Parts: sequence; C-alpha cells; structure tokens
Amino acid sequence: MDRLRTGDRAAAEELFNTCYPRLAGWVRRLVDDDDTAHEIAAEAFARLLGRWSRLDNPQSYLYMIATNLVRDHWRKTGRERKALQAVHAGAPADPSYQPAQDVHVRELLQTLPDRLRSPFLLHYYAGFPVRDVAALLGRPEGTIKADLFHARARLRAALGETDD
Amino acid sequence: MTDPRDDLDTWMNAQVRPLPPPPGTFELIRKRARRRKMTRAAAAAAGAAAVIAVIATVPRLVITQLNVSPGPAASGNAAGNTSSAGRHHHHQASAAPPALPSPSAPATAPPAAPPNFQPSSVTFVNLETGFALGQAGTPGQCGPPRKYICTSIAGTGDHGGTWHGVPAPITGAPSGPAGVSQVRFYSTSDGWAFGPQLWATHDGGQSWTRIRTHGLRVTALETAGQRVFAVWAQCAAGGADFAADCTSSALYAASPGSDQWAPVPGAGTGYSLSGAANSSALVLTGGRGYLLAPDGTLLSGPVTSAGGWQPVAGTASPAAAPCAPGAAQAGGQPSGALLAATTTSPAGLVLVCASAAAGGSQAKTVYTSADGGKTWQNKGSAPAASTVTSVAGTTAGTIVLATTAGLEISTDGGASWTAAQGSLPSGGFSYVGMTGPQQGVAVPVDAAQHAVWFTFDGGQSWQESAIS
Repeated sequence: MDRLRTGDRAAAEELFNTCYPRLAGWVRRLVDDDDTAHEIAAEAFARLLGRWSRLDNPQSYLYMIATNLVRDHWRKTGRERKALQAVHAGAPADPSYQPAQDVHVRELLQTLPDRLRSPFLLHYYAGFPVRDVAALLGRPEGTIKADLFHARARLRAALGETDD
Repeated sequence: MTDPRDDLDTWMNAQVRPLPPPPGTFELIRKRARRRKMTRAAAAAAGAAAVIAVIATVPRLVITQLNVSPGPAASGNAAGNTSSAGRHHHHQASAAPPALPSPSAPATAPPAAPPNFQPSSVTFVNLETGFALGQAGTPGQCGPPRKYICTSIAGTGDHGGTWHGVPAPITGAPSGPAGVSQVRFYSTSDGWAFGPQLWATHDGGQSWTRIRTHGLRVTALETAGQRVFAVWAQCAAGGADFAADCTSSALYAASPGSDQWAPVPGAGTGYSLSGAANSSALVLTGGRGYLLAPDGTLLSGPVTSAGGWQPVAGTASPAAAPCAPGAAQAGGQPSGALLAATTTSPAGLVLVCASAAAGGSQAKTVYTSADGGKTWQNKGSAPAASTVTSVAGTTAGTIVLATTAGLEISTDGGASWTAAQGSLPSGGFSYVGMTGPQQGVAVPVDAAQHAVWFTFDGGQSWQESAIS
C-alpha cells in the first residue's frame, strides 16, 4: 500500500497486473460482453490511477467505481441488453460459463433498490467482508447485514416466482 | 421447479473467470488517468482558491471575482457558487450521496451538487462532460457574499450519472437587464453564462468575469468551430422575460479563449426589428453559422474564422425563411420560428414554424433545407396539442421537438412524429439538445423537478438525471 501511495509506475503496473483480470471478469458477469467489461474495468482503473495516492484501499475503490459504471451500463442499455441476453441464453459460447444463469440473476439484481444492490454486489460478488462493505458505504455493519438478508430474501422470492 | 436457493447460491458462489487485458490496455489507462488527474487537480485547486477568496477578497467585490458563496449547509446555492462548494463540500457530499459513494469522496471528490437545484439551462462539450445552470438553495440563505443570490452551476463528467458543484457567477436569476439563466461551454475550460448578462470563464467555471455589453442584453449564445457568437439586443422588459420588448439587436463574436467581443461584419450593426417583441434564432454547425433575424431574413457565415456574415442568397435574394422568430420565450429563444441543424447534409437545417398558441395547442409546420436555407421544403406538421419550446436535430436525421407536453420525435425528416418514451415530467420541456446521434439532454419546464432528462437511443426514450 505504501508503494501505491507513492504513485510510481511500477506500483501502478503491479496493481494492474494483479487486479485487472479479476475485475474485468467480475464485470463480465454483470454485463453482456467482453468489450464492455474491458471498457468498464479500464475506466475504473483510469479513475483509480488518477487519484490512487489518496486512497487507503485501491481495490475497494476499483470495485465501487466498477459497480457504479455497471449500474450506468444497465440503465443505458436496457433494451440492447435484453436482445443480447436472448442470444447468449440460446447459444452459450463457453461450456464452463453459464451466461443464462448470470442473465437470470442479473435481471433480478437490477430490480433491487440501490440500498440493497450495492452491498449485495460488494459482499457476495466482489468478496468484501461485511466490515469492509460497511466502511465503503458508510453504514453500520448491522445495517449491512440486514440489507444483505433482505436482498437475499427478495432474490430468492423472485427466483421462486420465475421458476413456477 | 428448482429450489430458488440453489440458483442463487450457485450464482453467488461461482468463481469469477479472469478476463485478461488486451495488449496495450495499461498504457491506454495511464494516458486516460493523466488527463483525468490534471482536470481533477485543477478543480480541487480552484475549490481551495475559492475558500481563500471568501476570506481574502470579499471586501472588494468586483465582477471578476469568484462567486464564493458557500451557501448554507442544507440550502445554499452550493455548487453554483463555487465556493459554496468549496466550503460545505464535505458536509453536502455526505448528506446525500447520489449512488455508491466514491471511497475517496471525503478527501478528493469535487464539491457536491447544490441542494434544491432548479435547472434552467444545460450544455455539453462532449458526450460525458456537461454543465447545468439554475437557481439553488433558498433565497435569503445563499451566499456569502449575497444571501439572495442563488445562481448555481452543476457539472457532470459521466453524462449525467453524477453531478458536482461548479462555481457560478455572482449574479441572480434574470430580472430585466440583470442576472443569468443560460449556459454554454466551448470546452471544459471556456464557457459563458448569459441571458441577459454575459459572464465568461476560461478555467472550467472556477472563476467568472463579467463581460461589458454596454447596456445590451445577451438573448442567445452559441459556440462552435473556433468562435463564440451571441445576440446582443436592446430590450426594455423587466422581470424574468429579459428578452422581451427588444427594439434592436446585433450579432457579436469572440474567440473562445478571449473576452474581446466585437460585432460580426454584416450582422453586427443592429439589424432591424419589425416589431417591439421580436427575437432571433442562432444556430451553429461545425463549419457554418445561421442567424434567423427578427424580420425572417436568414444570415450565414463562417464559424472557424472572424469572417463576415451575409444574407443567404436564395432564388429571390436574399432568401426569406418560411416564418419569422416572433416574440421571445422566457429563455430568450424564439416562439414563432425554431431553428436547428440536422447535418444530414453539410448545410442541413430544420425550421419549425409555430402559430400563436391557443388553448394549449398550436399549429407547427416543419420545414427542412438541405442547402443552408436557400430553399425550404414543407415536410408536414408536428402534433398540435402542445406548445413547442425547442427543436434539435442529429446527424442521423432525427428531429426532436421539446413541447409543453413532452418530446416528439421524427425519424423521417418531420413527416411523421411519435411521442418519446420514458417517465417524463408534467409540463414538458423548455429545451432539448442532441449531443450526438444517440445522446441528448432536455430541461424540464418545471425547474422544481431538480433534474434534467437524457436520451441514449437517439431520442426514442428519455430518463431522468437528478441533479443532487
């Protein structure tokens, strides 16, 4: 972390090499295509590198920014995304990857209010502990736990409805 | 039926499949980051300077100083008054985060957007970066330096995803010859607040300078190419209708980076006004500008140089547009003839001729020109059940009308129209502009919506962007 604060190129490149593939992969599960995932991941890194010397937790910052960018992407490309979803769901390109399932859950995630969706993505998807999510979002840990509970409940209820 | 818990648990526990970066990604990111860092550094420095200015320069308020009003904690003209931003930025940012808060927001993020922001104008310099001007906070609780000056500016760097405070000129809402209501930016550095006064910034809004107009009111301003053009008019109306009761007007221009305004040869000597309440329509494309004078004469000239303008020569010289601008609307734009560039051809124009509104409706005849106004083709009529306020065109040929009922879209040059989709505000829109073929922005008539609306699909659907 100290190296990151110095803002030197080597530290930046190390961070990039370490975090980019996972971040882009994480975004890939939330969006529709590799190009968009790369664009969002690159944009998140660009914002990080522009101010990383003032950050205590660059990785958290990356995922926060990426989450916001994904939210924007969902909002702006709703109709196009639905069309792509239909294509992907019918012909998954990678047997080890299950886009249909992602699409299904992703659609439901978009119905969650921001208050529940943000902690859900950061905890279950980005892998941050509840304590870190609470710090990131500026809410008490108890509130985050409650939000996660309610998010899970809503998603499970929605999944149950759609499976009926 | 499967157990819903299985689906969710499987999804949540699935391993993320890494996605390696394409070659050269890191270098591209570094370049982008450098540009962002410079912009942010400038904004942060200006914010700090604004706070200093409050302490050091309040006693000598001159027109070139920053509007350093910090605004009250919950109701100041925050963003607009730059400084406002500077002082109360942290408090405001923590009070109402628009979405996921940036981890660095408490220390480095730009000032928060002002509370109670009521936009009257919006402008974009590219698809991402734009500015909105309006009144914010609560009169009597704005400032310092003046409690009743609440003019504010909000900026966005992510096409309306989030908004932040930007310093605003220290002047109020339009009232006769005073105040400002509109905003345009040539770049992220050079911008103007106008209507009726004229203020300029050359540092992205961090400081504003009042431009002397010798008692004339700036009723229209646009910038393109390498110039900024404005209509300076002699008007008598008081109150918010600053562009009403004008008796003469002229076209002035300047280089975006300077404050040296001069009359445009051929259009800057005070073209005639046939009545006491006529306005002008000013439209700029990448290479050419058009001014629909109060008497219906269309003038044109270059926007890439300081060359003169002249009446467009048609079959009958000079060419007469199918209608004249008529009286000005509240924002200064004409009510009888609304002009926009379509750029489906290098000299493509669209002109909407509107009759006097009666009972909330008016006839709207749509004309297009492919030769810069030399000849016009009647394309048909737009829906009558509303009053048109603004028109915009895109390079894809789409025409968007802002009306008191909403937004109307035509993709066939004005022959047929469909209502835009989305959750639109009651009262409709006072302005619409297309930033690109797919992206556009509209300002609601009801400023108390505290928002502007965006389209990202060429005008077909619109979504609210709250300025908070």
